[in-house]
Amino acid sequence: MTLADLKPGETGKIVKINLEGALKRRLMDMGVVGGTQVRVEKIAPMGDPIEVRIKSYALSLRRGEAKSIEVEAGSV
Amino acid sequence: MMVSQKNSQDTAKQGLTIAVAGNPNAGKSTLINAIAGSRLYVGNWPGVTVEKKSASFDYGGREISLVDLPGAYSLSPYTQEEVIARDYLVKERPDVIINVVDATNLERNLYFTLQLLELGIPMVIALNMADEAAQKGFRIDADKIASILGCAVVPTVATKKEGLEHLMETAVSFAVEPGEHSPGFISYGEDIEQALLPIADALKNHPEVLAGRLPLRWFALKVLERDERVLDDYAVDADAPQIEKAVKHLKAAHGEDQEAHLADTRYGLAAGLTREALKKPEIRKKELTERIDSVVLNRYLGIPVFLAAMWLIFKLTFDIAGPFTDWFDGVTSGPLSRWAEALLLMAAAPDWLISLVVEGVIGGVGFVLAFVPPIFAMMFFITLLEGSGYMARAAFVMDRMMHAIGLHGKSFIPLLMGFGCNVPAVYATRTLENPRDKALTALLIPLMSCGARLPVYVVFVGAFFASQAGTILWSLYVLGIAMAVMMGLIFKKTLFRGEAPVFIMELPPYRMPTVKNLLIHTWEKGKHFLIKAGTYILAVAVLVWFLLNLPWGVENKQDSYLGKIGQISAPVFAPLGFGTWEASASLITGVIAKEIVVSTMAVVYTPDAQGDKEEAVPSFGEDLRETGVSFAGALREAATNVFSTFGIATLSTEEEEGAEGLRTIIAQAFTPLSAYAFMVFVLLYMPCVIVLIAMRHEFGTWKWAGIAIVYQSVLAWTAAFIVYQGGRLLGL
Repeated sequence: MTLADLKPGETGKIVKINLEGALKRRLMDMGVVGGTQVRVEKIAPMGDPIEVRIKSYALSLRRGEAKSIEVEAGSV
Repeated sequence: MMVSQKNSQDTAKQGLTIAVAGNPNAGKSTLINAIAGSRLYVGNWPGVTVEKKSASFDYGGREISLVDLPGAYSLSPYTQEEVIARDYLVKERPDVIINVVDATNLERNLYFTLQLLELGIPMVIALNMADEAAQKGFRIDADKIASILGCAVVPTVATKKEGLEHLMETAVSFAVEPGEHSPGFISYGEDIEQALLPIADALKNHPEVLAGRLPLRWFALKVLERDERVLDDYAVDADAPQIEKAVKHLKAAHGEDQEAHLADTRYGLAAGLTREALKKPEIRKKELTERIDSVVLNRYLGIPVFLAAMWLIFKLTFDIAGPFTDWFDGVTSGPLSRWAEALLLMAAAPDWLISLVVEGVIGGVGFVLAFVPPIFAMMFFITLLEGSGYMARAAFVMDRMMHAIGLHGKSFIPLLMGFGCNVPAVYATRTLENPRDKALTALLIPLMSCGARLPVYVVFVGAFFASQAGTILWSLYVLGIAMAVMMGLIFKKTLFRGEAPVFIMELPPYRMPTVKNLLIHTWEKGKHFLIKAGTYILAVAVLVWFLLNLPWGVENKQDSYLGKIGQISAPVFAPLGFGTWEASASLITGVIAKEIVVSTMAVVYTPDAQGDKEEAVPSFGEDLRETGVSFAGALREAATNVFSTFGIATLSTEEEEGAEGLRTIIAQAFTPLSAYAFMVFVLLYMPCVIVLIAMRHEFGTWKWAGIAIVYQSVLAWTAAFIVYQGGRLLGL
């Protein structure tokens, strides 16, 4: 499953980023690295983008990118 | 692998360079303002429009130059800001780095810190927002961080100026004896270190390394990551057998992507360090930011809250600015013009010179000044939105809609402000980080019908559509928005084809911006506009004076250069229904500012209107007093407007004097159809000169201004053509 499948309040653990190049590196620089806990906080009023809590800060990204981030649901 | 070049040869020099680096939202700006204060100089980084702040001052007998680097999340650059920060650190090699770390967000900040340490430059960490961290119950062992990383750590609270003295002392002492304070060696693990050794060996004879201009460890790491900019800049073949062989084992163990592996490793280290140095309370309290966001980003309330905030800012910007704009206008066209005229008369200056100075130069100055209040107000609110953290939320709420036409969530605010005045709106695009988003937004701003176009509509609507005034006005605003959507889609597929920038953005905690920061930013923007844009605008005002008044002594405006140009260009407008020299001359002068279309029409259509202008000329003393009184009046009015923002007075539809006469003439010169086509043309045709200058100023190139001129002229002509010819076909 991907980060885009998590509902607000649900938690997951990053498994893998299915992207290449600068975009993948950017996500990693922002803390989206394997094994990291991530929780979906909110979905924007118009349905996109989403807000997630990762590495104890709030990050927002579009669903398009979130779909490329594989997560393992649950934990904690 | 410890590398410390350059250090020895530089110890003798007196001047020290301190670079201030850090993540965005770590409080870097506040910190540098607090340290440098009024000595701060704000300019641009060469070739780009990213702001560069620096200060030079004496500190304990040494000349210090403090350079503020743009906020960065990583030294593998992604944004323009990050490219600048990295290039500066690598190419200019400051003597010491002050690394501003947000104590409430340790892990991600330490990830960046590790990247900085790879450069081998002595580092002092400003563990900023120490108060906020303490309030959350965080206990941070600064000594542990310092000993593990081999740098100094100074807790600071930039907003309260705490710890800054100690920070500067430490930084200077590090810079003076860099050899003693080289950062410690941090192992990236057996596999990576093993791969780095032969790479470093292959690179150690690179001329830049030999010259001491490139830290070997950093260089080797970037080659391992296959950082394209580094490979290009230093002409390194990453596929050379020696390097290839070195990474073979690493590839076998961790897959192809070394860059991802290194990012993983650095984050692993940052996480480990955070665990060791940070004690958090067991239960995390719900923070204020989260509580605010549960309203501000709420599914149902998010958009209404955003719109209410925008409405308030829009009203405040233009209502506060309005009275001051009028005051500037009154002073320059009244007392200032009279004094200049009197002085010139005393000096027996010829008529043409008096006219040039009073109408051209002073008129131009008044014009420039008129834009200062809204620009100040706009920059104040933009800084407030950014500094408080709400700007990121605004982008979050609006992104879906803006993304549909190829824009970014943050584009909404500049576009909205365009309805007040396009000029501050263009300046407001600086909130967009990505140059593509910024340029596209700026290109669409002129399609937002600004306040200056309203007087034109008012005259024409008054002459032809008095009974459906509201509908006609509304249709023009909607047409502008529709054209912006259309052009956004067209630009997305043409000029800005290719990968659209993504939206990966931090939502920083809400913070109260300091008054000092707000004022510094507001003042800097206003000042730049006055000096840089002011000069151009003045030149254009003088040029128009020449066009309108030469050859000197023309009785009939038709014979002036402007009249001649009007006659030559009139046929272009014939298919649109207004191919008269008067209409085209008005459109030409309207390029200075669109409301001038009306005043030019008043002059060209009514040649004798200038008649008896005899009025009592006030004395110098009366003038001075009146100027003071009217300024007080402007202050009072601005203050009242703030509190009575609920009265809809912004787009005041007051008419110019003598508009009634003009309306009668226009009712004869136009038909309802050609009048509507004319309004459509005025709405869409090239932006006024001040907008163009603002674009030049904001982007550092005339390119976007040029594109705006071309596309809008074509768009305006086509739209007016469709309206007029289509209307005729329909028998209107």
